[in-house]
Amino acid sequence: MRSIRVSSLDGVDALTVEDIPPPVAGPGEVRIKVYVGGVNFPDLLMSEGKYQHKPDLPFTPGLEAAGEVIDVGDGVTRFAPGDRVMGFFDFGAFAEEAVVAEKFLMHVPDGMDWEMAGGFTLTHTTSHAALVHERVNLKEGEVLLVHGAAGGVGTTAVQIGKALGCTVVATAGSDDKAQFALDNGADHAINYSSEDIRTRVKELVGGADVVYDPVGGDAFSASLRCINFEGRIIIIGFASGTIADAPANYVLVKNISIVGFPVGSYRRTSPEVLRRSYAGLTDMWASGHLKPQQSHVFPLEQAADAIKALRDRKAKGKVVIKIRDGE
Amino acid sequence: MRGIRLHSRDGIDAMVLEEFDLPAPGPGQAQIAVHAAGVNFGDTLMVTGQYQEKPDLPFSPGMEAAGEVIALGEGVDNVAVGDRVMGSIGYGGFAEEANVPAANLTPVPDDMDWATAAAFPVAYGTSHVALTYRSHLKSGEVLLVHGAAGGVGLTAVELGKTMGATVIATAGSDDKVALAKSYGADYGINYSNEDIREKVLEYTGGADVVYDPVGGDAFKASLRCINFEGRIIVIGFASGDIPQIPTNYPLVKCFTVDGFVWGAYHRNKIEVIHEGYEGLRKIWATGALKPHISKRYPLAETADAMRFLLARKSTGKVVIETRV
Repeated sequence: MRSIRVSSLDGVDALTVEDIPPPVAGPGEVRIKVYVGGVNFPDLLMSEGKYQHKPDLPFTPGLEAAGEVIDVGDGVTRFAPGDRVMGFFDFGAFAEEAVVAEKFLMHVPDGMDWEMAGGFTLTHTTSHAALVHERVNLKEGEVLLVHGAAGGVGTTAVQIGKALGCTVVATAGSDDKAQFALDNGADHAINYSSEDIRTRVKELVGGADVVYDPVGGDAFSASLRCINFEGRIIIIGFASGTIADAPANYVLVKNISIVGFPVGSYRRTSPEVLRRSYAGLTDMWASGHLKPQQSHVFPLEQAADAIKALRDRKAKGKVVIKIRDGE
Repeated sequence: MRGIRLHSRDGIDAMVLEEFDLPAPGPGQAQIAVHAAGVNFGDTLMVTGQYQEKPDLPFSPGMEAAGEVIALGEGVDNVAVGDRVMGSIGYGGFAEEANVPAANLTPVPDDMDWATAAAFPVAYGTSHVALTYRSHLKSGEVLLVHGAAGGVGLTAVELGKTMGATVIATAGSDDKVALAKSYGADYGINYSNEDIREKVLEYTGGADVVYDPVGGDAFKASLRCINFEGRIIVIGFASGDIPQIPTNYPLVKCFTVDGFVWGAYHRNKIEVIHEGYEGLRKIWATGALKPHISKRYPLAETADAMRFLLARKSTGKVVIETRV
């Protein structure tokens, strides 16, 4: 079967497409015929050996995908050959066949195509798990500020925030992306390349109760100055490339919380947190709260370009790789 | 009546003890005959104008007091004349009488004396609300308390134990560590000669909740011994060193840093303050709390009391007895 491979930690340009033997489903695992894989920031980090999880070389990258069940290992009860599924992988999703533990798979809900399903699990689960987790406890009627709102996880946070009954303020780096966030359901959007986040948040809504931050840097620093009493800033990542410092006296005087939310750690230590979100997201999809997202589709041969589109922050919405053709 | 007053914000040396008349209590105020007042770090800031609240001059400092209600302003119905009350009052406590926000007051249990009542609201209120409402400390978790022999730290040790936590106390001397252990701490770390992170990892493998009124190096050590889904509660910076929080730490290690200003809840969510007092009254009734007052001063020696606190020589609370 054809697979993307990482054979050295020299970054995305060193990715290759190779023919390798298909994987075998072990106990509790499911083997799927992959149609579409979703590209995420950790794919970039893993190709450089900078992600916390470092698989032995060579390996197949890819943390999420959707496809059809081929066969199942011992003890698997919830899935059968032919099922349409999507899931959150350890790694190994960017290949024509892939295996994943049953507990990290969900059925593709009715009405969701492969393109959306392939890029659904990780980003939606990250946003949903973080926003509803007791550590954050986003409540109906609160103001949610989403940075990088036109990006992969940001897009999902906007939709999930709206589904949870919040006022959503989106920030993005261009007018085009700000408009994209509004079209995606945000109540307000701020173009931070030409507008001051703090000033605009104060004007629009007075302040933010929860900040969803996959960006870091200046966006994070602005959040500290427009957050409400008992506000929560969720640290998701540092797409800006800058890891901001939070002065502890700000955190104290404003009576706020800085909440780190590493979805990968939850996957390893508390899979029930992910499973709760799978159920919540399936309900949100069924009730029409999650809109089909705009995707940038790259063929398997252009996996490196797909990851670069994410790295260079050119993408709006989700970047996915079409692993094989099919409906 | 007599009280300590400031006619300029020139610090402790500018405080004078003098006779003056208090106006009638205004709307929402209760007038209390102060019996004792707790001394807090915030008082030392307010007398130099460095505190966020800057009362009009002249004013009496003293943000924590216990006494008897002697008159009521308009619209006050939560206390009555003759009630024994205590609370965080903003300022005015270092005097024989004070007009205070009635909404902040809570009844003094019958078996609590005045000095204890004056030492109670800020230290126990802060720790109780921090550990319950703000950080949801659970039975069986590990609570690391920095500055554990200080005013708020010692109460965090006591309350942590009543909540079923394993408590590790840190302090800057062997004497202070011993005091914290006598208040129930399971382990003590003298950070002047022991490494906080190493000892925490050795004793319990990590901390679930860190209660930090100290900041500086103690805070930095916490970042390196906090557990998955841990909570570091930032209470203050007694070390004088305000740390920076590198935001990749909470992400990679999956923990939360919670800022907590108990005083701010009086303005923003007073019900949280009173739920805390309710909880504390129940714990008080079991006899589990032994408020520690390291020194008592008469009203005329308020300046000495504040200097004693600033010198970081005190353990537990320092109290002014206004009527001795």
